[in-house]
Amino acid sequence: MHPSDTALNDFIDGTLGAAERLEVEQHLAGCAVCRQTVDDLREILRAIGEAEPLDAPVRAWSRLERAIRMEREDVAVPGSHGIASRERQGDGGGRQRGSRQALSPWVPWLAAAAALVLAVAIGMRYVPARHVDVAETGAPAAAGEAALSVETELRQAEAHYENAIKGLEAIANSEQSELDPRTAATLQKNLAVIDQAISESRAAVRAQPASEPAQQSLIDGFKTKIGLLQDTVALINEMRKGNEAGAARIASGLKQKGT
Amino acid sequence: MTVDLVARIQSGDVDAFETLYRQHSARIYTLASRMAGSAEDGEDLLQEIFLQAYRKVGSFKGDSALGTWLYRLALNHCLDFVRSRQAKMNKLTETLDAETSIEPTARRETPIARLDLERAVERLPEGCREAFVLHDVEGFDHKEVADLLGIAEGTSKSQVFKARLKLRGFLRGK
Repeated sequence: MHPSDTALNDFIDGTLGAAERLEVEQHLAGCAVCRQTVDDLREILRAIGEAEPLDAPVRAWSRLERAIRMEREDVAVPGSHGIASRERQGDGGGRQRGSRQALSPWVPWLAAAAALVLAVAIGMRYVPARHVDVAETGAPAAAGEAALSVETELRQAEAHYENAIKGLEAIANSEQSELDPRTAATLQKNLAVIDQAISESRAAVRAQPASEPAQQSLIDGFKTKIGLLQDTVALINEMRKGNEAGAARIASGLKQKGT
Repeated sequence: MTVDLVARIQSGDVDAFETLYRQHSARIYTLASRMAGSAEDGEDLLQEIFLQAYRKVGSFKGDSALGTWLYRLALNHCLDFVRSRQAKMNKLTETLDAETSIEPTARRETPIARLDLERAVERLPEGCREAFVLHDVEGFDHKEVADLLGIAEGTSKSQVFKARLKLRGFLRGK
């Protein structure tokens, strides 16, 4: 008889008692199937253990820096009630805020972008509802209510994403003259591809409101578009700062999106 | 991490904070992406974690290394995210299992590709993914995982084992 999965996992973890360990070892010596299982699991654990950390997207620091600068700006304005103020409510973190770095002239529109970025990052984490099993809830009515709630939530999330996209588009469009024509063309092409995907996903959701893949696809489309627009704002920002290396890194990422 | 750098960060120096970010962002992004099960959520969490760190770093007393403080903050933030999402989904792990329909990678003896591994971790069902990441990646023992996730120690163990076997199925087609 094969050892249980638990016994094999305990064996791998080295948490079996001496007698049980010997038993498993003896079994493994004569069982190619269990030996393969143990080898595979060890290989997976080795691979995950040796995997280098993932690099955060290049735009992540730009987003964060904008959010931080916006907070500093917010603090500097007495009586400010911006999004950063709202974020701090109930926070209790006693940070000291220095003002060593002067804010550069691009802060106003960057602040607007940061507000959108924050709104997207913090306020709109929509999770598509999974299929609700009637047997689980015990009543078809419960499933019906859940579906209605999912639709409402999806509509709300959609509205938030659309607002964020609208704001980012306004910023990106007004500053697009900063971009070289080829990058601007690539950007437009990628946006068109994403818009098409969003449009198709939206149609799928309308046709089948409870379809999780359709919901997920729509949300993914919004996220992709927001990511691309955030990259565009970050790129313009780097170009204005004269950071050619940073701009090149982001531009390279832009060209890969939507392809 | 020098005392000087900590002091500069605490005084609100964004350049010093960027240094902290460069030193730790990869590890925290990796943790967040794996705990959340998606790179997109991982990026959002990374942003939130560092923003929170920027706000709270003034309260850092130096009882531990700043990196350790940051890691704890990140871990707590990821756990909050996971709990909140689980509450929102109001969904049991078991039902998700049936939906996990990743196409298994063809049987092979070659080393596991990094991308395949990350994708497979992303596809693990809620519950067992977090336990797996905390135990097999982050190195917490089952008692610690149980405390962190608010589950029984035995559940942590069974969730980790289930995750390993699922990963094997995803990666080895078994």
